[in-house]
This record gives sequence, structure tokens and C-alpha cells, in this order.
Amino acid sequence: MKKILVIDDDPAIVAYLTSLFSDNGYEVVDAADAKEGLEAARAHKPDLITLDLEMPGEWGPRFYRKMSQDPELKNTPVIVISGLSGSQYSISKAAASVSKPFDREKLLGIVKDLLKE
Amino acid sequence: MFKHILFATSATEACDHAARVAFNLAREFGSDLTVFHVMGIPTRGFSRTMVDVRTREKVEPDEEYSAWVCEEIKTHYSRELEKVPGCDVCVAVGYPHREILRQAREKRPDLIVMGGTTGSDEDSPYRKILPGSTMLRVARAAPCPVMVVARPAASFWGGISSIVFGTDFSKASDAAFDYARELSAFVKGELHVFHAVDIQKEGIFLAQDMVDARLREAVNRMRGRYGSRMEGVDNWSVDAWEGFPPVEIVKYAREKHADAIVMAHHTRTETEEETRGVTLGSVLEQVIMRASCPVISVNRHRKTG
Repeated sequence: MKKILVIDDDPAIVAYLTSLFSDNGYEVVDAADAKEGLEAARAHKPDLITLDLEMPGEWGPRFYRKMSQDPELKNTPVIVISGLSGSQYSISKAAASVSKPFDREKLLGIVKDLLKE
Repeated sequence: MFKHILFATSATEACDHAARVAFNLAREFGSDLTVFHVMGIPTRGFSRTMVDVRTREKVEPDEEYSAWVCEEIKTHYSRELEKVPGCDVCVAVGYPHREILRQAREKRPDLIVMGGTTGSDEDSPYRKILPGSTMLRVARAAPCPVMVVARPAASFWGGISSIVFGTDFSKASDAAFDYARELSAFVKGELHVFHAVDIQKEGIFLAQDMVDARLREAVNRMRGRYGSRMEGVDNWSVDAWEGFPPVEIVKYAREKHADAIVMAHHTRTETEEETRGVTLGSVLEQVIMRASCPVISVNRHRKTG
């Protein structure tokens, strides 16, 4: 079963994404900030990460910088999910960028595309 | 280091991402923030009438009009103003670069933040006019470093913790290095010193052996020139790449996930006398227009105390 790490400080978004991905056959782990996210990524080695940008403490791009310095994580695809304007420019190497509020089918399509065997 | 930030804005969409940077930096560092807007240019020398840069209407910029423009700016930045409630909003009439520099001399900010051009708007006095746009003219004469946010990609994405310093080994670059080092130490971040070897000279591509030799020389020169001056910076590196310098700097900054690029604003290098008189480096200008992070132009050594 493919594993997705959801990093977002909004519990409602985490709950929504968790149920969306679980219902579609993915295992989900979550983290509420960048620090917790990095620990979870190292512990669980997810196949995909969804990443919020504006979070308490370190923002998403700083998580991405640290993640990309870890040889075991640097090739993990990241989908940026944020309500910030211009969020598609925030992480140039992100696999995709989705603006909040997002279309669940569109997001699922991106996830399935990235995680296909 | 960021006690006072002057945000010079056209109060249009072109400056929205610069606004995000200015307001977030002010919030992060507890800085005083002045939002400054030049309303318009007098129609003639000492005319009482001016053309408003945003509405294009001829108006008389009396106190009532100035107050109205201030209110408009406060409305435009209402969300950001919630983050920095004590911020000062002021307006002036005149040529934008002159008024911004006047404001900088009066308020003595530690940093001026500016946005990009107003795009295709041909009539705007803020538009990029070669050889010097407002931004370039301000950067050339400013009494403090000037941070330019020219693209949405260069917006605020969580603060400054990785800094790229681009050097051409000029004396002006030494001032920029001091600023980059001080900034890196202040934010306890990484400092990446970088030099780009131009593979072309007068339209002819250099042989790769010569390029390789220049790369080695550049790395050794950076280590020698800056390595012993890294007080307060634990995490630093030096690198040299070959190519078209402004693009290489932008690519390198992307590779390092840089939050800011620091470069010198200067007119000549110490080794290439033939470049004497060249206005604000075309390399810096290209970097500003292409970078995915804010670019800080430094034109003199920072006064301390």
C-alpha cells in the first residue's frame, strides 16, 4: 500500500485529506508542522508528501529544503497545497501545486498519476 | 539589522509580492515599517497639477487628495497592515526615484524594499526605462541596501535562512559580502558564496581547459578572500559554475533554495578597467528580473553604530 504524508497545520484539512486518501486505498500519516513533518518523513519514508506553505514555525519551503538534503527523501514527490497567492512559484521542484479550496477529484488525479506503478 | 524598513510601492499589483516580503520581514524582525508611495509627477516643473500614477487623472495634490491616497493604500494593504499595525503610510509628489531617495535620506532605513516593474503599462513612470528604471536608480544611490522583489516567485515563503552571495571579486563585492555575512549571522542561516565564469568573451566561447582553470582559480580566490571573514556563520560554502553569469547565479540560488541573493551594485571591477562607467551591472539587473527569491543590491559598506 502506498503511503502519503500530509503536512498541514489546519486539523480540518488534515482530516479531510486523510479520509480522501484512505478511502482511495492509501495509507496516510500526518504532521502539523515542518519539524514534525521531517521526523515523520524520516520515520515513515512516504511515497508522496502533501505540503502546506504557511505554518507556525518553519514554512513549507524550508521543510522542502531540509528534505531535499536527505538522500533518502530527496526524490519523494511533493504536492504543495496552499491558499497563498502565487503558491505555484514557492517550490520550483514540487511535483504539483494545488490551491485551496481544491477540487478533490483533481487532487486525486494528480496523486494517482504520481503514485502509479 | 532591520530596525527600520522602507517599502517603496506603486500600490499596484506589481508590488503585491514585494509587500508580502516587506510586511512579513517587519513582523518577523519587529521592524518599524514605512510604506511610501509617490502619487504622481508634476505636469510641469513647479506645476500645482500632477498626473496620478494609478488613475492617470490630472489632479491637484492638496492635503485632502494626499489623505485620500493614503487611505486607498491602507485599504489596498489592509490584510498586511493587520500584521504590522504600527506601520507608517506616507505619500509624496515627484519623480519616484528622487522621492524614494529623499525619503531614505530622511528616515535612514536599514533596508529599502521595492517591487518589480508595472509590466506592460507603457505610460507608468514606474515602468522599466533603460538605462535606468526607478529601481535601478534607487539601487545606485541608496544610502542602504535595496531589496528587489521582481517576480511572484520571489515573494515571501517563510523567511530568510539561506543566502547566496554572488561575487565578481570587485571592491564593491567586498561591501556586499560584509552585508551578506552579517545577514547570515543575524538570521543564523547558510551563506553560499558563488562566482560565475563567463564562457564567452567578445562573442567567442572560451576553450573548456581555460574555463576549468578559471573555475579552479575562482574557488581558490573565494576561499582566500572570504573564508577567513566568516565570523558568526557556521554553515557556508563556495562554488563556481561556468555559463552566462546572471542565469548561473539564478540557477545556483534555486539549487541552494536561497531566500535571498546579495550582490554588489557597482560600476566597474578592479581587474577589468574596460568596464569602467558601466551603469548598474547588467548582471545584477538580469538576476533581479529572473531570480526566484528577493535580490539585495548593496552599493556601499554599511555604517554601524
